[in-house]
Amino acid sequence: MRILIATPLYPPEVAPAAAYAKELARRLSARHEVAVLAHAHLPEELPNVRLVAIDKRRPRLARLFAFTRALRREARGAETAIAINGASVELALLPGIAAPFIFSLADKAAQARGGLLARRARAQARALLREVPPPRPEILPLEPYPAEEIAEYEASWSAHLDTIETILNHAR
Amino acid sequence: MPDSRKIWEAYVGRELAGLRPILAREGYALDAAQPHLAGERHLHRAVTTESGRKLILLGARADGSRVVIKATSDPESKQELIHERERRAELNKINFAYELFASPRELFFGSRGSYLISVQEFIEQERPYLARPLKEQFAYALGAFKAQEGAHATTYGHRRRIERVFGRLEARDYLRNSDSFKDGIAVALSNDTRPATLIARTAAVLRENTGVLEQYGDFLTHTDFVPHNFRIKDGQIYLLDYSSLRFGNKYEGWARFLNFMALYNPPLTRALEEYVRKNRTQEESAALHAMRLYRLSELIWYYARNLPHTEGDLRRLTEARVAFWADMLEAALEDRELPQERIDAYTELRDALRSEDEKERQKGLH
Repeated sequence: MRILIATPLYPPEVAPAAAYAKELARRLSARHEVAVLAHAHLPEELPNVRLVAIDKRRPRLARLFAFTRALRREARGAETAIAINGASVELALLPGIAAPFIFSLADKAAQARGGLLARRARAQARALLREVPPPRPEILPLEPYPAEEIAEYEASWSAHLDTIETILNHAR
Repeated sequence: MPDSRKIWEAYVGRELAGLRPILAREGYALDAAQPHLAGERHLHRAVTTESGRKLILLGARADGSRVVIKATSDPESKQELIHERERRAELNKINFAYELFASPRELFFGSRGSYLISVQEFIEQERPYLARPLKEQFAYALGAFKAQEGAHATTYGHRRRIERVFGRLEARDYLRNSDSFKDGIAVALSNDTRPATLIARTAAVLRENTGVLEQYGDFLTHTDFVPHNFRIKDGQIYLLDYSSLRFGNKYEGWARFLNFMALYNPPLTRALEEYVRKNRTQEESAALHAMRLYRLSELIWYYARNLPHTEGDLRRLTEARVAFWADMLEAALEDRELPQERIDAYTELRDALRSEDEKERQKGLH
């Protein structure tokens, strides 16, 4: 399936939602054709993932306009989209896009701010991902390898991907 | 006695004569011993900031509580103090920082006569950073780097906001600086071509890695993040020096710290490098490596340009420093560690050549 991930945050940004977006793209790309549309400057590359970056260094209005246009264009080539919450993506979703989309509430700070745009995006979405996997446990050189935490992390991603696959299969 | 030392000592004498009565009127008494005025202080300018002529003094309030006093009558240094204060205030206001450092409480900031005076509480720490167990050192260092990385100026608005107060270096600035270290060293050390050759190799590595230097740019970074610029109390890191904060490559501060620890505590350097290798992208490891080379080049240039201001043992020590850090740079270029025997030999020579007042100044510093 051709999947578009639209995200306000993407590495090298350090926010948890940025790491989530990249990991989601990496894992989905094992089974699907994945493109990422991100507000980013020089995003981290991933094999088998097409990255479309709207440079965050541009003035805000120009950047939002460019992102909205790019989202409409990229959504036309996708069978489904996963939109990660955040005002800059929610605003771009406002006019509507060609592909049905899943709305992922990965950015808890943005979710807490809420607002009209977020409510509108939730209403437009085909499905909602309320919970996302936690950040990857760190491997600390002077500590034992966190085998249990890594196993839990992997399990949470498996469950998360199962949820997404169920939504995608239901739509087929 | 070299001119720079005579000039410094005369300056200190004049400034203290003017400052003592002013500070006494404000309720501050200076300690009899002032380690930050002695030793090699006359040579010191922070590696990356144009630290001008100011006094850093230790003292106490009438209630006995300890304070750190920064004071100057030099117009440029006044601007530095004002600028440092602005950075400290701005850091607490920026809305895109995830974490913040703790700062010592400011007790006084203002002009008295021809002096600008800044007084902050002295942070007593239970023990110096390097006396802590390795795991603690690692945890504090990593926490501090994450706090710096938490401020990432990604948008047009962020960049405009930080530009005036903090300043910013981009990949092209690092390349330009690297070329200037190379050219400067070639002149300063005309009889010894090895450091210039090593720095030329560094410049080539930086050029190869321009992409990652740019990609991991615009992060808050403390360019002189070493133990004498922070203190730890009740599990909290207090940043003492805000003048070395700027936005630049994410690994610029890491690199300074890792190079410092490659001399003082190599297992900590190894642990932090391993952390980056195991938890971050390959590109980030490349950025860290490139920045370590850059900061080593800068350090060699710093000592090389001090050579003309030294004589006697201090001259020999400065030459030994250039040779040692050149060895460290060569090892880093070849992706190997400097043998412990080389570190021990340098440390022994350094301790033999250091003056007594410099040894005193170094006590408990790290």
